[in-house]
Amino acid sequence: MDSSLEKALKFSNYMATLDNQKRIILEKFQEQTVYYFNGGQFTVDLTLLSYVNILLSSTSTGVLLDDKKIPILVTDLAKFYQDIFDTYHNSLTNYYNEYEQLKKSRTVEKLVEL
Amino acid sequence: MSSKGILLFARNNTEIDYIKQAKFLAQRAKEYLDLPVSIVTDTANTDLDGFDKVITVSSDENNVKSFYDGQNYKSNIQWKNSLRTQAYNLTPYDETLLLDTDIVICNSNFAECFDNFEDFQIYKNSIDLVDRETDLEFLRLADSGIDFYWATCVFFRKTAVNKLFFDLLIHIEQNWDHYVKAYGILTSNFRNDYVFSIGIHIINGFKPGSFAKSLPGKLYHITDKSVLKEIKNEELLLLLEDPTDTQNNTLLRTKGINVHAMNKFSLNRCIDEQ
Repeated sequence: MDSSLEKALKFSNYMATLDNQKRIILEKFQEQTVYYFNGGQFTVDLTLLSYVNILLSSTSTGVLLDDKKIPILVTDLAKFYQDIFDTYHNSLTNYYNEYEQLKKSRTVEKLVEL
Repeated sequence: MSSKGILLFARNNTEIDYIKQAKFLAQRAKEYLDLPVSIVTDTANTDLDGFDKVITVSSDENNVKSFYDGQNYKSNIQWKNSLRTQAYNLTPYDETLLLDTDIVICNSNFAECFDNFEDFQIYKNSIDLVDRETDLEFLRLADSGIDFYWATCVFFRKTAVNKLFFDLLIHIEQNWDHYVKAYGILTSNFRNDYVFSIGIHIINGFKPGSFAKSLPGKLYHITDKSVLKEIKNEELLLLLEDPTDTQNNTLLRTKGINVHAMNKFSLNRCIDEQ
């Protein structure tokens, strides 16, 4: 370990490091919940999941407004729903795993996996 | 079928080897994005085998900038940052992702910009890996100025409107002294972020508008007062500056996020260790 790393470890505030790691994995989770489809961009959240699920009960195709307010035609709503469900579920699971790992890490070295 | 690729500008100065960074970025672009990479450089007499096309330019610039390497080292060196406004004319691709050489690609998000409808994409926001309020410098061009955009990553298609836009950027660059005054910019140093921001403001009709759309994913950054310590696949280890104490740092491990590593000295050290 070089001297600058040792110095940082010596002075690092554990809570500051933990909070910053948490902030960045939350940003990453939000980034990973974006689903790109047919030229459109959809941030998957519970509202989108619920809306598409409701839509599915009455139709198999539909138009959705993407993040940039562009209307996107979805010709296979069932597949679209499964894809956004997987996107959200996988991102959240990944976020949970990384968060749990941070919670268990009681030193700066463990937080940054040195 | 339209051609797609990445365009990099890499012109070395006395202390920083931008071509080394460009080669490293090209390797990662192949790995994460599977895209060809072309380079614009004034240093053609070197090994540039990894690139799709090598575009040689001449350069004669007097811009000088302070480059930090962490909080305690500073060097005033030549800054060759012009010509980016020529990207439209120089690119060999119909669809171009223009990147700074100090971007460390760690995921495939950039690939989505080519499938997107939008012909011009750029980041308006970047997430500071140091946990603090975003520096005003990265939000607006002046205290009461127009919105700031990051020329670090830009996607554009060859369209009539984009041709018009890049011609406008060339005009702004050629009349930089005027635009510095007109937009209340406090530094006279030529800066691409400012040129692109002014260009977007003008093409939107001198008001916020819809010309520029956001690139996919998020951009994260460290300034040159923080230090990149290690690059291991998609994981980075960073020594972050403490804005309140120049003798202190905090550590951060990132996984799978794209980082704009403005500390070029530390980026080059990490590349050497690969």
